[in-house]
Amino acid sequence: MASKLTRFEKARIIGARALQLSMGARPLVDVPESLDPIDIATLELKKKVIPLDIRK
Amino acid sequence: MIEKVTKVVKKKRAKFTESLIHEIAQAAQRHDLDDDELDELVKRVKKAYERAKIEAGEAVGTVAAQSVGEPGTQMTMRTFHYAGVAELNVTLGLPRLIEIVDARKKISTPTMAIFFEDEYRNDEEFVRTIANQIGKSTMNDILQDFHINYAENNVVAELNMEKIADKRLNFDDIINRVEKAFKKVQIDNNLLSFEPAKSSIRELRLLADKVRDLQISGVKNIGRVVIRKEEEEWVIHTEGSNLGAVLKMEGVDKVRTTTNDIHEVEKVLGVEAARNAIIHEAQRTMDEQGLTVDVRHIMLVADMMTADGSVKSIGRHGISGEKASVLARASFEETGKHLLRASIRGEIDHLTGIIENIIIGQPIPLGTGSVGVVMKQK
Repeated sequence: MASKLTRFEKARIIGARALQLSMGARPLVDVPESLDPIDIATLELKKKVIPLDIRK
Repeated sequence: MIEKVTKVVKKKRAKFTESLIHEIAQAAQRHDLDDDELDELVKRVKKAYERAKIEAGEAVGTVAAQSVGEPGTQMTMRTFHYAGVAELNVTLGLPRLIEIVDARKKISTPTMAIFFEDEYRNDEEFVRTIANQIGKSTMNDILQDFHINYAENNVVAELNMEKIADKRLNFDDIINRVEKAFKKVQIDNNLLSFEPAKSSIRELRLLADKVRDLQISGVKNIGRVVIRKEEEEWVIHTEGSNLGAVLKMEGVDKVRTTTNDIHEVEKVLGVEAARNAIIHEAQRTMDEQGLTVDVRHIMLVADMMTADGSVKSIGRHGISGEKASVLARASFEETGKHLLRASIRGEIDHLTGIIENIIIGQPIPLGTGSVGVVMKQK
């Protein structure tokens, strides 16, 4: 993820990661107050630890 | 100033267009900015510039269609415009817009605006001479007296030298043309008498009409011309258009002279010029009606129309009819025809477009749907 993500890419990554989390994947950040997988995925994206890449 | 701005822009690693750099340079000059202020300005412009950019995956086509379509509903259905004093009729409004996107071969009111090079710009005499070379004149325009002499079985025409001089025509040229067009003609200075091939009253009358309608000057396809002074220079407007012939004339400004016939622009100057002509004409039509549409929407339309090397219309015979996907074509018009033909030829649909995927019921490759996700390789 070298260049800035477009808003579509951001949404897609957060969505995919949130699905993984909801199905039991281990969060790669300390879980924040909210247990919502989307919030966790958003935090993960912010810290750039999501193990997903964009395929153009 | 421009070099300085270019340097700052390079330092900030921004990729600006030339016109943007010019604008920044002008603003910097106007407000007398020092180096720090210029740095800040470029920084902010860069930020705004990047924000204004369209992201990959955005549905630009749909937005463009809406942005051109909505003002279109507000256009007057049928408008005729009389430009200026000299009443040149030009199609504008909705009919004109339709003409542009349909890429009509024969537009209803072709017209040209002919500009002149620096040295002739204010030379009224020169411009009038050119105008009369371009504009169509017939014998009828320079007659002093004209009558059919039934007794002697001939047609007598007397030329008006004043009118000829007024139109800046050459008398010898006129005589040459007359001699070329009519075999049996006697010329005595400005008195011409014509004899018909066969002697009958019918022939005589037909001859009279032919004499009067004989074209003695003008460029092919151009009718009336109007000379106007616009902002300190003389400009010729024409009814009808022939860009190729006019651009070859001496003194004509090859850069600014235009026609509203897009196919002619394409023929004479190429597709890129045709693309610009589409943009210019569409925008002018909207502007004239007091409607503002962002150029980029119109540019997209023009790009689509000219992308494969020649001007194509939007619709059945152009872009939509030539789509690669069978389903996309079938969903537009003539569904049965396309499906039948595709099945006979054994066409394959690769489902790469939007419409195909909607028909199948899959996520469409647009916005979020255009992004693929893969696990990171460790």
